[in-house]
Amino acid sequence: MAPSLYLDRDTWIHRLDPRTKMFLLLGMFVLAFVFLSPVYEAVILLLVLFFGYLARSLSNLLRIWFILVVIAVFTIILWSIFGSGRTPLFLFVEREALLYGISIALRIDATVIAGMVFLSTTRNEEVAIGLVRLSIPYRFAFAVSTALRLVPTVAATGFTISEAQRSRGLDLESGNLIQRIRKYLPLLVPVFISTVRSTNVFSMALESKGFGASAKRTFYFQTSIGRRDVVVLVVFVALLVVTLALRVAGYGGLEGFTR
Amino acid sequence: MGDASGALSVRGLGYRYRGGKGHALKNVDLEIGEGEFVVVMGPSGAGKSTLCTAFNGLIPHFLRGRMEGDVFVRGRSTREGKVGEFAQEVGLVFQDFEAQLFSTNVALEVAFGPENFRVDHEEMERRVEGVLGRVRLTGFEGREPATLSGGQKQRLAIASVLAIEPRILCLDEPTTDLDPLGKLGVFQIAEELRQREDVTLVVVEHETEETLDADRIVILREGEIVADRPAHEVLRDVDLLEESSVMPLQVTRLFKELGVEREELPLTPQEGVEEFRRRGFSVNPERHRELIAADEERGREYGEPVIEVEDLAHRYPNGVVALEGVDLTVRRGEFLAVLGQNGSGKTTLVKHFNGLLYPTEGHVRVGGEETGKQGIRKLGQRIGYVFQNPDHQIFSDTVADEVAFGPKIRGMEDDETKERVAEALRAVGMEGYDEEDPFGLTKGGRQRVAVASVLAVRPEVLILDEPTTGLDYAEQRSMMDLVRRLNEAGSTIIIVTHTMWVVAEYAHRAAVIRQGRVVLNGTVREVFAEEEVLRDASLRPPHIVSLGNSLGHTVLSVEEMLRATEEG
Repeated sequence: MAPSLYLDRDTWIHRLDPRTKMFLLLGMFVLAFVFLSPVYEAVILLLVLFFGYLARSLSNLLRIWFILVVIAVFTIILWSIFGSGRTPLFLFVEREALLYGISIALRIDATVIAGMVFLSTTRNEEVAIGLVRLSIPYRFAFAVSTALRLVPTVAATGFTISEAQRSRGLDLESGNLIQRIRKYLPLLVPVFISTVRSTNVFSMALESKGFGASAKRTFYFQTSIGRRDVVVLVVFVALLVVTLALRVAGYGGLEGFTR
Repeated sequence: MGDASGALSVRGLGYRYRGGKGHALKNVDLEIGEGEFVVVMGPSGAGKSTLCTAFNGLIPHFLRGRMEGDVFVRGRSTREGKVGEFAQEVGLVFQDFEAQLFSTNVALEVAFGPENFRVDHEEMERRVEGVLGRVRLTGFEGREPATLSGGQKQRLAIASVLAIEPRILCLDEPTTDLDPLGKLGVFQIAEELRQREDVTLVVVEHETEETLDADRIVILREGEIVADRPAHEVLRDVDLLEESSVMPLQVTRLFKELGVEREELPLTPQEGVEEFRRRGFSVNPERHRELIAADEERGREYGEPVIEVEDLAHRYPNGVVALEGVDLTVRRGEFLAVLGQNGSGKTTLVKHFNGLLYPTEGHVRVGGEETGKQGIRKLGQRIGYVFQNPDHQIFSDTVADEVAFGPKIRGMEDDETKERVAEALRAVGMEGYDEEDPFGLTKGGRQRVAVASVLAVRPEVLILDEPTTGLDYAEQRSMMDLVRRLNEAGSTIIIVTHTMWVVAEYAHRAAVIRQGRVVLNGTVREVFAEEEVLRDASLRPPHIVSLGNSLGHTVLSVEEMLRATEEG
């Protein structure tokens, strides 16, 4: 099991400055949140997937497809039930509510996939440098990149622990929701304790390597905003402006939907 | 105050952790000169790691507790500066090397220290290249640390500290989790460093065989120094080592038992062979044949096959072939050791026995039935599996609840569960601990709770993954004596381990895995006779076995050698 999402591939997206990549990620979020219509949201999702394709990072979809499907199914069902609109479809579900559910599902999946593409193309260290270059204090930047690192580490520990408890007879697959949640106790306690322990060693190791010894530091990783970054930024800003203009002009909404 | 001009000077050091029961260190005085190689030994909980954290100022600046006395690093008191300032003088590598690595590739991991000290890019590249060369990781620059083997990770942890170019290097149990050649690699690096660059080296170590090159050995017990003498003197003091829960060198103990004067005791197998011949000792072939006969006798007493592996192959989803063409039979009552380098596939193999993994090709049968048809829950009744790290399974508030987990989850009545808990705790020698908090126990104690919690289901076969890792010699002995008793009471035992003397003294049979294939499979005596094949699999038999092999007769313990030796 590979511990993190990062894929060490040499594409032009990988080579972008981390600041550019962060801007692209934020821009994608904005794009995804502007529209209400499923058709427009589908276009945004396709755009995200296109970026993922260019970055040769779509293989990571195999690792998160289950979450994407769960999110999509739940969002569509919940909005269909709780939203309301004008055109009855079947039972108590209205057409507009269903469409809105689909929009939101596409929107969340698009943002999750955008995040995945970002993490597939950006090292933790790049995130830290990117933030520092944006004048954010290094300690904070390091905390963010460490949090990103913690997720896969905890997942790996959790996997070992679940093997140990399944060997003792723990059965996570049966029972109702509450029973299942209680069954997770034998997993959560050891995961928590192991994580606290290794975090303690980790922080001592950081101190011992001179973390924070001086207010400034140098970086092994070289970054600079090059011509490619400028082109990407200009094109993307143009895209953002056009989209926002479209939305203001009344496109991409959803007629007849009320909460 | 006297002269404190050595590399490290410890004066009257005492330490008490906040909330700790007593002193972790008491009145420690220690002088370490420039360029010295000092090994620190002693039982678990003696304060060895605490001492290391005092060398670079983690004590008193980072850890919460009360410090008495002083530590001087090249003349400067650690009280006078921050940890970061001393980090450039003292490099500290912690025992848990997994938790120290956090970068996304090897080069960045090494560069982290220099970055903190504002080393410029050109110099940083020079250091990364140089340091990786020294720990033999050249060519690994772009690899993700998590994908390295245990030995490589440890070497990377050392490299990441070396890149700061400290004059003093302190390694806290650098070899605990490594296979024998991985251990040797770490010590070769340490030795080269010291010879080339006049680095002062302080190493905390459990295994005596690794300390032969040291200048001095310091023994700590309950926070106090009980010995601080030249290494060879301490190594010849067999009684002192045994009292300090440190395993004496086997060759040295043999000759002590044979009545040789302390000053003349040999240390290594080579010295042993010379001394053996010089004194006119010989191996009595008749008595050696009796040992082999006893092995054969034991082999005839095993019952029917419990686990049958036939032409097993396992391919992970990412395409990596972990096992190929494995054939193996485990009979009732056997005590099998599965050996191999880190990453050779030995853990993958035993995970097939209890249904954590299923074959991608070939067959694994337990009790005559394919494991795939039984599933992990049913297999769990017959096959108990104790994982390497007890902290990966303990979650209850009391020892009794922890042990009761298995029986309860399998739907046993309260009375039955209680009886089984009592029985399991008795088996591991922990009666009366029912209401204790398992997290308050020592590592050895937690390990026993983990074993008891698996025994409570009364499995026929017990698999133990690295049952002695992280324990001191006395704890290792008592753990393995426990496993032997379980075996004699009828349990079939399978252990996965790097600790070769444990295999030699306790196991009946050994299977050696190399790159996913079984390369040796026989009685422990047969397997340990093949030193060449073992070396190809990155393994090294214990000293006493090497001594016997050099004399033409494979023996497995000091006691066996004594039985077979004829004096004059």
